[in-house]
Amino acid sequence: MDNLHPLESKVLLALSRQSDSPPTLDQLAESTGLEPSQLSMAVEWLLAKSLIAVHAETVAHLASLTPIGELYFEKYSPIERVLSAAREASQTGKRLTIQDLQAKEELEPSDVSKAVGSLKKEGAVLIVQGGCIESTGRNSPTAESMRALLQELRNGQRELQTVAEPLRNVLQQHAVKRGNAREPFRIDERVTRSFLLTPDGQGVAQCLSRDGVAEEVSQLTPELLKEGAWRNKRFRKYTISLRAPRIAAGKRHPYREFLDLVKLKLVSMGFQEMRGTLVETEFWNMDALFMPQFHPARDIHDVYFVSEPTHAPTIAEPYLTRVTQVHEKGTGAGSTGWGYTFDAERAKRLVLRSQGTAVSARTLAGGASVPGKYFSIARCFRYDQVDATHATDFFQVEGIVLGADINFRTLLGLLNLFAREVAQAKEVKFLPAYFPFTEPSVEMHVRHPKLGWMELGGAGLFRPEVTTPLGVAVPVIAWGLGLDRMAMVALGIHDIRDLFSADLDFIRTMRGSF
Amino acid sequence: MPTISLQRDDLEALIAGPDEKPDRIPLDQLEDWLMLVKGELKGHNPETGELRIELQDSNRPDLWCCEGIARQIRIKQRGAAIPYPFFKKQKHVFGKLVVAPGMDKIRPYVAACAAVGYHVTAAGLTQLIQTQEKLADIFGRKRRSVSIGLYRLAPIVFPVSYDLVKPDDVRFAPLGMETVMTLREILMVHPKGVEYGAIVGGHDRLPVLRDAKGQVLSFPPIINSREIGEVRVGDHELFVEVTGTDLPMVALTLNIFAANLADRGAVITPVEIQSSVKTTFGRRWSTPIDFGKPRTIPLAAIESALGEALGGNEVTAALKSYGYEVKSAGRKLVVQLPPYRNDLLQTVDVVEDVAISQGYARFAPVMPSQFTVGGLSRLEQMADRVRHLMVGMEFQEIISNIMGSHQDFCTRMRLDGTEWAKVVEVNNVMSLSYSCLRQWITPSLLQVETNSSRAFYPHRMFEVGEVAVPDGAVDVGSRTVTMLGGVIAHAGANFSEIHSCLDLLLYYLDRTFTLEPLAHPSFLDGRVGKIVSHGRAIGLLGELHPEVLEHWQIGVPAVALELEIDRLLDEA
Repeated sequence: MDNLHPLESKVLLALSRQSDSPPTLDQLAESTGLEPSQLSMAVEWLLAKSLIAVHAETVAHLASLTPIGELYFEKYSPIERVLSAAREASQTGKRLTIQDLQAKEELEPSDVSKAVGSLKKEGAVLIVQGGCIESTGRNSPTAESMRALLQELRNGQRELQTVAEPLRNVLQQHAVKRGNAREPFRIDERVTRSFLLTPDGQGVAQCLSRDGVAEEVSQLTPELLKEGAWRNKRFRKYTISLRAPRIAAGKRHPYREFLDLVKLKLVSMGFQEMRGTLVETEFWNMDALFMPQFHPARDIHDVYFVSEPTHAPTIAEPYLTRVTQVHEKGTGAGSTGWGYTFDAERAKRLVLRSQGTAVSARTLAGGASVPGKYFSIARCFRYDQVDATHATDFFQVEGIVLGADINFRTLLGLLNLFAREVAQAKEVKFLPAYFPFTEPSVEMHVRHPKLGWMELGGAGLFRPEVTTPLGVAVPVIAWGLGLDRMAMVALGIHDIRDLFSADLDFIRTMRGSF
Repeated sequence: MPTISLQRDDLEALIAGPDEKPDRIPLDQLEDWLMLVKGELKGHNPETGELRIELQDSNRPDLWCCEGIARQIRIKQRGAAIPYPFFKKQKHVFGKLVVAPGMDKIRPYVAACAAVGYHVTAAGLTQLIQTQEKLADIFGRKRRSVSIGLYRLAPIVFPVSYDLVKPDDVRFAPLGMETVMTLREILMVHPKGVEYGAIVGGHDRLPVLRDAKGQVLSFPPIINSREIGEVRVGDHELFVEVTGTDLPMVALTLNIFAANLADRGAVITPVEIQSSVKTTFGRRWSTPIDFGKPRTIPLAAIESALGEALGGNEVTAALKSYGYEVKSAGRKLVVQLPPYRNDLLQTVDVVEDVAISQGYARFAPVMPSQFTVGGLSRLEQMADRVRHLMVGMEFQEIISNIMGSHQDFCTRMRLDGTEWAKVVEVNNVMSLSYSCLRQWITPSLLQVETNSSRAFYPHRMFEVGEVAVPDGAVDVGSRTVTMLGGVIAHAGANFSEIHSCLDLLLYYLDRTFTLEPLAHPSFLDGRVGKIVSHGRAIGLLGELHPEVLEHWQIGVPAVALELEIDRLLDEA
């Protein structure tokens, strides 16, 4: 009953109220007040649900005028016109031939010959010598019947049964048949069905009349609430299995969600965030990290150089002097140095930050706390051809740990912590590695649940040639995590460029499993 | 750093040593051993037996070859350095190499030796050439600092001279050419002359190595002579020379070659170098030369750096089995690198070698114990608050590249020739699409809009990200600003919609603001405003100019907002 459409309820109730014979569609239309299209829709639904059944099916024949019939009504039929022309000719004594009739009355030859044939048969006309038509002065019952029928059907269709016998014959003779469309009348069949309730339908109808048919509404409105009118309403049930319409959420970028999570992990492990600048001097990007100025990674094929201005005006002292000395002679760091002449101009050259470690170097010089832990998620730039594994700029997650207790074993301990907290990895492998600014250096590999063994990051103890000139007297761990591959797995993408996608639909639908 | 190619058989034979029968080494065993050389097995072709190995350490050129890798592994197995008698002072030298005056102005240094008794095999020759190329290219900075020549020894009549000649005075047939050419012609025509000519370019005299009969050995660092300077499979008497601009690098490179050839069975005989000027090695010395110096290192320094009291015996054993010479003196160690290495700058370098020799697995990880307070910078905290509010206003967050094109950041925004078109540009542009840093966020978001006309509307998107604003008052020439950019695009997008967002955002951030009219070419005149708070401009917002939308091929109205998050902090 809940699934009844309001139209169906109306029909069921009308049928249950019908005391006499089962009603036809017309009668139902009257009793329900529904439009014919609504009614037939509701009846078909109810039949399909077996709540009503067809009681009887009667076929009626209905006679009506065709467009030709309408024309005959206005301008007389061929038989009437032939008869009146024949009478006119007899009075005036003129000769009237079939050809004259065709020409004068603008009648089709077939219509003329058919009319003449009927009139002759009834004795209303004669065909005399020479093919002339003469009136006999007698009446033509066919012509009279035709006129009567045209007159009668002019006001609408009539059931064939109700037409009197002689007229009915004329009607049937002049009705449209297969092969002869030029007739004034047509006879249509009409099936009339009458309906009654099935036992199920009676049950439903009883419920309906007992509970009353609440008016059904689709949407609750403030008005309905205000007046309490909702009490008399029925709320149509929805087909809740349909797919929901799509909406757009306001939401974080999934890659940013991932980075936010990394940030949260690092903060929860006691790391303080540091920030730097997109443009750096070679000094902070490389010199302070004890990368000799002739180092291959300082080539124009590895780093982007800024075109205007090309150089910073100065490098802060005492760092410039100390770094110069440590490069040249290892001064202060117990080192031999690189043994070349340091170029202070080169140190001022401006580059796009190529490694996050530049931020760490600045932090060390700016008076980092001891003990202290720092991290940055820094945008870095590499002179690489952009492809599925290289983006023009990318995030580097890196940082430092300062403390009197820092040594090679605590370095490994910290990396273990990262593996567990950041990568949820249970298995870790440490491999010897090379970075220009750390010694010893470690590469950490972890077993990722989906990727197998993968490099998670690199780390090491800053060389004293890095820390001493920056005024740091305790050992310092420098670490960096390569998280892009992990992020790509978490986001289900295979091309690093998709992390920076410009396709809104893609971003709206991308989701992470962190 | 370099990735080298080598033959598995060759490596196995070298690991076994000259007098031993080589064993087949399983690849996983090999991968473990490669930790000794910071090497990673990158590829293996079972059909050809080729291995591809990447070597990480740019300060260990001795490892960039099959011989060097094998040597480090063999030393670990035997527990002590391999003796190379030719590094000790020798009475006998094969011959003399005389350095002419004036060489110090162009390419001052040379080192050389003879190697006899190794019958060059195909695999060995491939390795010699690969080592020559990798050392000259990466360690020698594309031959600028170091270049290497290999010759057949027999035709050379000593003494050899290293001197300067006029470019047209000397002619010889270079490798790879049929005809005799002058040095000038080689520089102009020969592929190597074209590639490396700049190293000696600008000098009116050029370096040449010639023997006593005047035969040209080579024109360093460009090309060898075809007659003497082409080593073939089967040759068993070789002459090796290294020239360059840095004496220790030149000497080290020759030492590496001498050790490599000795590992393959050659007997190395030194060559005496006679210099017209005094060097750190004096005026006369012979090469190969062990110029390393012993260093005294307190055991405690090693132990405290490693966090493990290994004791003198273990440290000594570890270093010896890594190729060092070690003398223990109480709590001090006197250590010296093998002559084919020169990367000991200080104690930590020894520390790492101890750790590598023992294996990193020898050291149990320990958690750093000292307490520190974690936290985000004030800027990041503010940025996060802004991001959360934007998300609440149903904006989708975007992340874009900071690097892009002038076309996108300025031209398409109708900013060319205005004060807003100042951007940080790079000198060495790789692709015009990535030639400068964005100075605002809106173009990044319009890039998304351009690509997203089929994503259902409305579009609300934002990015909180860094931009670079040129500023002469800052030492690096630009300020890195953390900026909020927001764009709304749909058929009915208008000023009022984005204005409401700004209003709500700043309400929650507790900042008062006013909007002042602004003439900005990216926006419709009269529908753009400067956001002013406490007397400072902190951003702008407006309806994007239809021409801007046309430039981006955007078919719906769009409004944009830019807000400097750094300046929200200033006011707090």
